[in-house]
This record gives sequence, structure tokens and C-alpha cells, in this order.
Amino acid sequence: MKPVSSFGREGFSLVEAVAGLVLFVLMMGALTYGAASLFKFQSQPEVTYQGKIYSLAPSFGEFRRAVTFHQLFVLAMDQADSILVLGGQRSHPTLDPVGPSSALGENFSDTTLTAAAGSDAFQGYASWDQREINATQFDPYLTSSPDPADFTVLTVQGQSRITSIAQHRRYTATINGENVVLYEATLQTVDWSSGSPVLVTNPSTGATPTSSYRIYYAANEDVWQQPPGATHFWYRTDVSWDRDQEGPTRVIFADPYVLAGQDAQAQVTSVSQFAYFVPQLR
Amino acid sequence: MSPRQKSLSGPGRDERGMASVAVLIFSIVAVLILVANFKLNYAVSVSGDAFDTFNSQMVEKNGVAQVVKESILALRETAVVNSGNSIQAEIQNRLANLGFPAGVSLTLQASANVPAHPFFPFVSPFVPAVSPLALAQPAYFSTSPRGLAGMGGLFSSLAIQGPVTDMGTLVYTFARSSTQAPGEDWTYTVNANLFSVPLTNVDFVAYGLPSSGLISAQAPSLPPGTLGSGVSALVVTSNNPATDPTAYPDLFAPAGQEQLPYQFRNAASFSWNAYEYLWNLGYQDALMNAAKAEADPGNQAVSVIDLTPPAGALYDFSRPAFDPANPGNYPCNPTIAGLSSSGFTLTVDCSAVHSQVIAIVDAEGVGTVNITGSPSSGAPFVLLIRNTAGNLGRTNVVFSGNNSCPAIFYLENANVTFAGSPQIEGALFLDPTTVAAGNVTWFGHFSFYGPASPLGTLSIAMNDDPAVKAALAGLAPRVLLVSTTATRQ
Repeated sequence: MKPVSSFGREGFSLVEAVAGLVLFVLMMGALTYGAASLFKFQSQPEVTYQGKIYSLAPSFGEFRRAVTFHQLFVLAMDQADSILVLGGQRSHPTLDPVGPSSALGENFSDTTLTAAAGSDAFQGYASWDQREINATQFDPYLTSSPDPADFTVLTVQGQSRITSIAQHRRYTATINGENVVLYEATLQTVDWSSGSPVLVTNPSTGATPTSSYRIYYAANEDVWQQPPGATHFWYRTDVSWDRDQEGPTRVIFADPYVLAGQDAQAQVTSVSQFAYFVPQLR
Repeated sequence: MSPRQKSLSGPGRDERGMASVAVLIFSIVAVLILVANFKLNYAVSVSGDAFDTFNSQMVEKNGVAQVVKESILALRETAVVNSGNSIQAEIQNRLANLGFPAGVSLTLQASANVPAHPFFPFVSPFVPAVSPLALAQPAYFSTSPRGLAGMGGLFSSLAIQGPVTDMGTLVYTFARSSTQAPGEDWTYTVNANLFSVPLTNVDFVAYGLPSSGLISAQAPSLPPGTLGSGVSALVVTSNNPATDPTAYPDLFAPAGQEQLPYQFRNAASFSWNAYEYLWNLGYQDALMNAAKAEADPGNQAVSVIDLTPPAGALYDFSRPAFDPANPGNYPCNPTIAGLSSSGFTLTVDCSAVHSQVIAIVDAEGVGTVNITGSPSSGAPFVLLIRNTAGNLGRTNVVFSGNNSCPAIFYLENANVTFAGSPQIEGALFLDPTTVAAGNVTWFGHFSFYGPASPLGTLSIAMNDDPAVKAALAGLAPRVLLVSTTATRQ
């Protein structure tokens, strides 16, 4: 049967067709707007580990937090006089060539490097040197049995003022009968603008640390071509001249929007968007 | 029409309606999922792009900071050759050699001219129109003198070793524009912090001469006990593990010419380029001219016959000593306070020197200079012993007695010995052809040519002495250190 217009004629007039089209567009627009409103927030599977909530990756909410985290982290590195990376592989090419070496515990919140303040700048080129110079201060915090993905990054101004503490941790656990791998990144920045150290709080929560994000994967998905963690590279070590010249350290943070080993056979393998070559000295 | 007939002819109106509702619901769900997925991916994409842009800005602004630093050094580095261009031209040349994404351009908007970097002997008293740069011990955190914090560890490790001159902050601004992303037009401001650092601030240097000589492939051997506590030591060697066993292949590219990582820029400025300049004729002649112009009254012997005997503090072994009884025997050497001669043997008594700079020339390699230390402190001075005889022979230089009067000793083509293991305060610069032997305890600065290390025959115990470095800083050659930081507006 052919369409019949309200005037009894066969077919639609041009006005009717246009009106129909406009009505259709309005309806579809309303539908899209409504759908967009409904999906403004994403419900993400979460687990609680050691009292903290981790979201299943990929997680856009955590990714947003990660972007904030890394903007602060990059700014802290950019304004530092030196950067210490503790943990990871090859922390010293002869004394600790394989690793993983110990990071600082997450309860480390010192704002000064006490021993280094009065030391000769020539003696503190490498993170290894700083670990030795500040041994008394660091020893109580050094982690035992560190995970290869664990590391601590301290940004320092002068030789003594810590301006940020970035921590990266990897945990394995069985939660609700499922083996999972959890990644946690926290950043505590320190404001020295008043001349005294002030721990900067998270503007959303009003508490420390300044920024953080936490994600988890099923254990069998935790397969990476470039796994999160720190790898130290070296120009030279020279015992006679006391030249511990460390090159940039490759630091890879867990990425909340990377699917890790979801498809290990795929040609495009997982690569974090948060990878850095961190120079020890600037 | 019967129901039978109806079923045979197709679904009824109700059934068609239910199917339409099901299709509608399915469509709505599909649209919802597609919209949600689109929003999520779009948000991730935007966030990721924003972070990439942020990182690109960091790279771009730090690149501009490095352009400014290298342009300033091209004009004012303590090096044999400096550019005659303006700072604007130097910056522009470097910008032109940078690669940017399509549509992106950087232009220099405002700039400051780089001040002169004068140091002894190019300043008062020999060039009265030029004032010496004031020196002060820097700190990491202070307002006066300005603290070094935030200028980089590589910079401050050299600038913190002794008194330095703060030459101020120069400001450069760059306009950044993008034809493809007008929202990404902004301004970079680069603050360049300039500090003039005496070469004697670093205690122990094995230098290289990349243009006129060699650099050490590997660091010279250090006998035990050479470096005391707190002694700063500097040597820049090869990063090729094949030539320097202390180097690792981690970051070494074996193909092509060996590249020195930028981390070593300041160290190379201090231990390579400054020494090329130091042993170049330009600086050596300036010291000679300063010695000639030395106006110490003690350098002019009283003669009743010749009312204008030779003056200054330049002693030449090729000339006879001034004889007050025979004043017409010119040219001859002046009388110089603290110097006494006997044939080709000259004795420098550090306790009796009045001049700020003394030059001794041995063009034939026949002289012997005995330097006896001063038991008490006194005004610092410079002693240049210049031997241009080449293979004809080295000038013998013998240090004896402890010395507490800080002095800078420049020894060229000399054969240096130490009698009785003296303890000496001062700075000892050995040129590439000088050899040394004996035992000495040194307080202050010592530098030697790395590829021809004297440490096989010379036993030296180095000590860091801030007071000696402070005393010598005003007479020492300086190195310009530049730290640049950039911000985006």
C-alpha cells in the first residue's frame, strides 16, 4: 500500500517529509542525549587490598587520575636539581647488576636528605651514591624482597630538599578466589615556597598523598613487553676517581588504560604511556 | 477472514507491533552501548593527546633553554675562539637548525645582550677601566648571594666549590605558534643564570686538549693517598668501553663518531676548553704584559747614575741583571722584589714577593728557578715560568720549604722537583710538556695534562682548602657557567 497523506493524496508532501525528518532527528537527538546522561559515570569492577580500592584495568577513572599524577610528576622532575631512583634493575653495574634493588617503603615521608646536605656535590652523581651517603636515613625504609616493578623516585632541589616522592608498587594477591596483580602509584609533592616543607594534599580529598591511582589485572593478564619498573643505565663507574656516572634511568609506570597481556599474540603489544628516561642530574 | 487464513497470510498487527518494540529496545540498547563506548574512547583519546601535548611542551621548552645556553657559551665561554655574532644571531642560527612539527614555528621575541666576562689579568689594576668581578661563596638556598637551587645539579656541583661571581639573570622570550592548532600559540620565557667560576675552585683536574692536543681515553692512575677527604676531582674521558675500561656499553653507540653525552657539557667546559684557552698565547701574553706593567716600587733598583732603570716584573734568562754601577748595559732585567739571580739560577722567595704577577722567560731552556716557600701568609701572586725552548731543554723548577703565601704557579715546559716533601698552599698548573717528580703535600689546586700524567713520578697528597681557593680566586682564570630554565606562559 502506498502512503496516503492527510489530504487523501498518495505519498508525502515535501513539507510532511521535512517535518518527519526533523521529528526523527529530534527523537534521535533526545535518545542520544539521554543515553549520554545515563553513561556519564562508568561502573568499574573494584577490589579492596590493604584498605585501598583498586579498579580493574582498563579504567578511565584511574586513567584520568594517572594523567593528573604524571603532570605533577613531570613538573617535579623538570624543576629538580637531581633525581634519585631507588629500586629496579642494575642499580649498580658491579655491586648490584641484576636487582631488583630495594625501594623506599611507602611510609617514607622525609622532606630532607640529611647527610647529602653537607656532602661534596661531586660525590653524589648517582642514585647509588645517594643511597650510600644517606644510608643511615634510608636503611630503615628499604624494602625487603622487592618486586621488580617497585621503585621510588625522589626529586631534590639543592642537595637536601626533597620536592616530591613518587612510589610505584606491584602486589600479587588472591581476592574472591581470583589471582590478581595490583599496581599502585602515589605521589607526594612538597611545597618549599615558604622556606619550610609543607606536604601538599590532594585537592579532591584534602588528604595526602597529593595524587595516586590504583589498578589491577587478572594474574594471567600481567604479561608485558615493557613491564612496569625501573632499569638503571650507566656511563661508567671508576673507583679510583670516584666517578659513579649514571645515565638516565628508564622508569615505566603502570598504565590504567593498557590491557597488559590481554592478547599476548597480538602484534601490537602493551606499552605504557607513562614511560620516562629520568636523568639523575640535570 | 478466519484465523487460519490470517496465519497463512503472515504475522498479525499485534505480532508486528511486538517485534517493532523488540527492535526498538534492541536499537536503544545498541545505541546506548555505542554512545558509551564512543564517549569513553573519545575521553581517553583527548586525555592521552593532552598529556602528549604536555610532554611535547616540556621537550620543546627545554630545547629552547638549551639553545639559549649554547648561544651564550658561543659568545662568552672561556675558550680560544668565541663567536663574533650577536646573541640574537646565535639563537636564530640554532633555532633554524631545529626540527618542529608541521606548522609550528618559534621566533625570538625579546633578548638581553650577554655581559662581558673579564677576569685577571684583563681587569684592574692592569686595565683600570675594567673592574674585577666581585666574588662570594654561594649557597644552595639564600637570597644574597643568590642561591643555586633549581639551576641543576651538574651546574651546582661545579659552582659550589668555592667563591664565584653572580653575573645575573638574562631573560629571553620566544613566541611559539602553530598554524594547525591556533590554540597552541604561547610564549616561552628562558631565564639564563650566569656565574663566573674560578678555575682553581676545583681541587684536582686532569685536563684534556681536544683541539691542540689529546683527551685522555681513560683516566690517569691515581696512587693511593693522592686525593684527601673532600677533594673535588675532575677528568672527562672516553665513553667507549673499548678504550676506557671504566665505561659501559649501556648507552654507547659504537657506530659513527663518539658522542659526549650532554650531561658532561659543564665538565668539558671546565676541564677541556678552559685549558685550551689557558695555554694559548692570548692568555699567556696577557700575563706577560701584566708582569711588564707591574708597578711595584720594589721592582726598580735605586741608581744614582740611571734615574730610569728598567721596571716591571718580567725576568728573562737571556738578559743580564741590572747593574746599578753599569746602568748602560741594556737591555737587562729589572730588579724584582723577592727575586735574586746568580748566573742561570734564579731564586724566588715567596715571603719577599711584592708583585701581583711575575713572569720568568727561559727561551733557551738554560734556567733553574728555585722557589722557596713563605712560612707566613701574604698577598697572593701569580708566577708564570714560560719556557719556549721546546726540545732545547726544560726549565728546572725546584720547590723547597713550606709555603703559606698562596700563589698561582703556571709552569711551561718545566722539570719540576720538590725538595724535602714540602707543604705548599697555592695552585699548580702544569702544561702538557712539563714533568714532575718528588713528594709534596698540596693545599689548593693542582692540574695536569691527562694524557701525560706526572703521577707516575710525582707523589702528591691533595687537600681541599677553602681559604686558599678564596685567596686565589681573584687572580685565577674564570669559567663561565650557564644554567637555563624555561617556563611557558
